[in-house]
Amino acid sequence: MTAYLIAMAIVALIYMLLTIGLNLQYGYTGLANFGHVGSFAIGAYITALITTNGGFAYVSLPASVLGAALVAWPVALLSKRLRTDYFAIATLAASETLRLAIIEEDWITNGVHGITSIPNMSVALGLDVDPNILILTLLIAANLLAVALITRMVKSPFGRTIEAIRDDEDAVRALGKEPATFKVKVFVIGAGLAGLAGAFYAHYFSYISPEQFLPLITFYVWMAMILGGTGSILGAVAGSLVLVLFLEGSRFVRDILPGVTEVEMASVRLFVVGMALVLLTLLRPQGLMGDFRKR
Amino acid sequence: MDFALFANLAFNGLIEGAVIALPAVALTLVFGVMGFPNASTGDVMTAGAYAAQTGQIAMAGSIVAGVIVGSVASALLALVFYLCVFRFFQGRPSMYALVASIGLAFATRSTLTFFLGYDQRVFPIPLTRAFSFGPLRIVPSDLYILATSVGAIVLVFLLLYVTPLGRRMRAVADNPDLARSCGISSHRVLSAMWLIAGAVTGLGGILFGIKTVITPLMGWEALLPAFAAMILGGIGNPAGAIAGALTIGIAQELSTPFVGFTYKIGVGFAIMVLALVLRPSGLFNLSARVR
Repeated sequence: MTAYLIAMAIVALIYMLLTIGLNLQYGYTGLANFGHVGSFAIGAYITALITTNGGFAYVSLPASVLGAALVAWPVALLSKRLRTDYFAIATLAASETLRLAIIEEDWITNGVHGITSIPNMSVALGLDVDPNILILTLLIAANLLAVALITRMVKSPFGRTIEAIRDDEDAVRALGKEPATFKVKVFVIGAGLAGLAGAFYAHYFSYISPEQFLPLITFYVWMAMILGGTGSILGAVAGSLVLVLFLEGSRFVRDILPGVTEVEMASVRLFVVGMALVLLTLLRPQGLMGDFRKR
Repeated sequence: MDFALFANLAFNGLIEGAVIALPAVALTLVFGVMGFPNASTGDVMTAGAYAAQTGQIAMAGSIVAGVIVGSVASALLALVFYLCVFRFFQGRPSMYALVASIGLAFATRSTLTFFLGYDQRVFPIPLTRAFSFGPLRIVPSDLYILATSVGAIVLVFLLLYVTPLGRRMRAVADNPDLARSCGISSHRVLSAMWLIAGAVTGLGGILFGIKTVITPLMGWEALLPAFAAMILGGIGNPAGAIAGALTIGIAQELSTPFVGFTYKIGVGFAIMVLALVLRPSGLFNLSARVR
């Protein structure tokens, strides 16, 4: 039972890093990122490639963050020119193109077969402790750091500027601040967080393949963010917990209900995610814990 | 460099473009009037294809009956989406409607896979021999696809630019408040527009299914090229969307000898991003609109 709870906590914390990153981008700055899974994939693949080739996690973790941030940078530049919904489509296209590249460039990524036997956290760090406890500890630390970083950021002049960009970009420009530089920074930081999440993901599951990085993951994170409340850091935490409870809970439901196949359950899960996105945006776009005054 | 190869690729791209043009026209109609990119378009295509295939089998194998069943089903689905969901997003940030449309896309696809499974399906139509036309090898079904697409597009243009309904529709798209003050019921006009958009979308899915196979993901995969075509043509410009779809279809096919089959879709995205950055009003919009 404890092992199961730890496993769930690890998955929840990975989603939490993703949600915190997206929340910084969309919730605080209004940058609609539909390609979040792309940064996640880059982090996972960088970690997998470094550690299966004998590198340590001391190298691979920072490399994943930097790599994801670096790849996100040219995409972030698009936000200078595109309004929100166009940018969303462009990011979705970028993450799908990246997935195609992962499939096609099999000399480096092993294509559709994916990368197997990625060392666990203990091996990757060269420490003689339980890998699950270690990754859990590191994930908690990473999430606390991310929360602290963003809380500090939001309370600073930088934070007030990005929230102003979300609410009225023209007003920010009129006040002599260039929104583009802020947007690019925020996008790259959010992508770095997703890259870190990807690194932990690769270590924990020890196997990655392109089909784990479908756009569906992006929209899981969107659901978690909107559920918790856009522009609320506690909301991001709560939303990702609810998301993982739902994803895991649907497994229990299948065990209880006889005659429901896993394939059918996958359809049900997708249906619930879809309806949640519809109902939330329709009825409570600021999220369950979001602030009504901040739209 | 083989001329015949490129001629055949270009012809194939033309057919693909003609198919993508249908959802692209639906996207651009909806975007022009409602102001958001409707991501459920792809999965309405899928629903149309499944409905047509089921209808065709039920109607003793008549493909015409199947096409009618599929188009009607997708038109009704789009109308239901409008009446139950999209109606309430007017005057609110377009992001909300976009996220909701993705939710509807997931809901549609999961409903299809729950009841029909993930297996590929094909339209039971007789195989025909390809014939040669100069350097081209042409499959007759491709010509039927092209003719159907052109016919549907002509019909939509007649509706938009000749009938009173079309005039009202364009009036609502141009200025909803002014249209309302002239006594145009925007609710009825919008309902009609969603029916048209849904039917055209579904027909696109059916033709796509006839050209290749029907899978639950076919519409979602066609969505991004359709978005690209819409953006290339300029939002709210149906003729531009068609030109954009043909450009992307032909460019994607012609690029395959150079970049390989997998990156073919990436070429479409690259064109879209370039178009967005260099000319966000669309290549085919003469009057540059501010968006």
